[in-house]
Amino acid sequence: MKPTHTFQAESITAGYDKKTILHDISIAIPSNKISIIIGANGCGKSTLLKTMARLIKPTSGQISLDGKPIHKIPPKHLARVLGLLPQSPIVPEGITVADLVGRGRFPHHTFMKGWSKKDYEAVAEAMDIMNITEFADRNIDELSGGQRQRVWIAMALAQQTDILFLDEPTTYLDITYQVEILDMLTDLNRKYGTTIVMVLHDINLSARYADHIFALNKGKLVAEGTPSEVITSSLIKDIFNLNCKVIEDPVSDSPSVVPIGRHHNKSISISENPVIV
Amino acid sequence: MDGLFHPEVLTHEANVVRQRIVRTIFCLMCGAALGVSGALMQSVTRNPIADPSILGVNTGASLFVVCGIAFFNISSANEYIWLAIAGAILTSIFVFGIGSMGSGGATPLKLVLAGAATSAILSSLVVAVMIPRSNVMDQFRFWQVGSVGSGNWDSIATFVPFLIIGLLIAVFTGPGLNALALGDEVAKGLGVRTGTIRLVAALGAVLLCGAATALAGPIGFIGLLATHVIRLLIGPDLRYIIPMSALTGAIILTVSDVLGRLLGSPGELEVGIVTAFVGAPILILITMKAKMRAL
Ligand SMILES: Nc1ncnc2c1ncn2[C@@H]1O[C@H](COP(=O)(O)OP(=O)(O)OP(=O)(O)O)[C@@H](O)[C@H]1O
Ligand SMILES: [Mg+2]
Repeated sequence: MKPTHTFQAESITAGYDKKTILHDISIAIPSNKISIIIGANGCGKSTLLKTMARLIKPTSGQISLDGKPIHKIPPKHLARVLGLLPQSPIVPEGITVADLVGRGRFPHHTFMKGWSKKDYEAVAEAMDIMNITEFADRNIDELSGGQRQRVWIAMALAQQTDILFLDEPTTYLDITYQVEILDMLTDLNRKYGTTIVMVLHDINLSARYADHIFALNKGKLVAEGTPSEVITSSLIKDIFNLNCKVIEDPVSDSPSVVPIGRHHNKSISISENPVIV
Repeated sequence: MDGLFHPEVLTHEANVVRQRIVRTIFCLMCGAALGVSGALMQSVTRNPIADPSILGVNTGASLFVVCGIAFFNISSANEYIWLAIAGAILTSIFVFGIGSMGSGGATPLKLVLAGAATSAILSSLVVAVMIPRSNVMDQFRFWQVGSVGSGNWDSIATFVPFLIIGLLIAVFTGPGLNALALGDEVAKGLGVRTGTIRLVAALGAVLLCGAATALAGPIGFIGLLATHVIRLLIGPDLRYIIPMSALTGAIILTVSDVLGRLLGSPGELEVGIVTAFVGAPILILITMKAKMRAL
């Protein structure tokens, strides 16, 4: 089981150049749990993830791992505890699956030491977990979107960190692959205790797979807690400007959001649901 | 052959053989330096067409050397090298500055254009400095095209430390550059200090290409040819690309030199002309290749 960590952001404000995106956000990542960040396009989810993974320096506030400010931890040391898979990584032309997964071992290497047995084992294990061992020698360009995404996650797994940040690991994937990847990540969390923090767009899958949800709106944290605490029709209205009905997910204990548009509504009167302009 | 090991034997054949050996060693070293320099530049810029000649970097290096000869009476290989490296550094900063202006950052196409424009300006400056000084024209002549014929033990000795430092830099930055190939964000997530590694690798690239240019003049396309051949054969892992592009660069330059002597006989065709003939069509092919995909 992975060790417990306290990972906290204390009133961070961050953004790009002079544009402030995140306003005074304080969060504590629940250790050994799956947390999901939800919010509308452009509300700052990726910015939050990148700031917490020290890719962006906050203009004020502090982020700490086990009580130590992250910018005081040497990058390679931090990278052995905290891994990040950004929203749009680059695939080098002609790279094989095994080569790409192996690049996740970078933080474990020192100046002089080459590849050790441990590195090969870590790569083999990561490919095994993501079920891509059979593709090891294939070129990434030949894989489907779902397979490719599994390769990227395996790259992050090969890093063998206790905490894993994933920015939209299921975008562009069919529903089948989305569920498959979320199941695999849940396995990972249950089996090894890996703390996972990810951004997801599908609100219902978020509600089902999250232990903890952070809801962002325009760069501010507006709600957090278990899915049943957080997912309410008023919150959805607030952050997505969408009318909806929250019901109990028929196959799990989580809440489920049924959107209400202007058409195809059977019994709900229009007056209850004002037209969205 | 006896003459080789007995410098007092001054037969014509012995001299020719000795000269050929020096020339070959010099060729191998320059080719290795240019090959690795190209591999480093491509990684730093994440751009498949980066190469000292295409980016105008070695034209910048030769301009500095030519100015040194013309205005400061510089004539030793040692002084050439420092001037060339200064010229290479300034030119690369300039070209990347121009190439990354506007939206989208330093795309392959913008870099080629910036490099070509800069190269054109700098070469005309080289000519402008040279023309009125016909008395030193001979000393200048090989700067224009690149030639390995003038190599001697002295220039080889001057070159060696730069080659070693450059190669060491390349080998040590290799793993970090491998991570950088996955994008800056992934690289930072893996604990790479992206700014530092870019700077160090770029310095290595400039040292290698500046030193080679100082001693042999601006020889084009070696970096591009060497790395693309290697990438096709062994894939994108820099831990292998770096040593292999040294090897391939060395071979390509040496073969080109031999070709130049065969084609140009009874005189010789400067090796810079030969590599340009082979390299230019390859550059066009790569540039046209599907959507100019970035590395
Ligand atoms: N590199 C950047 N430079 C400047 N502004 C940026 C940059 N990246 C994002 N932004 C801006 O910051 C804001 C928040 O972006 P962010 O990527 O964090 O949103 P997001 O919630 O992840 O959106 P999405 O759901 O579309 O991924 C947006 O307005 C965006 O335009
Ligand atoms: Mg995003």
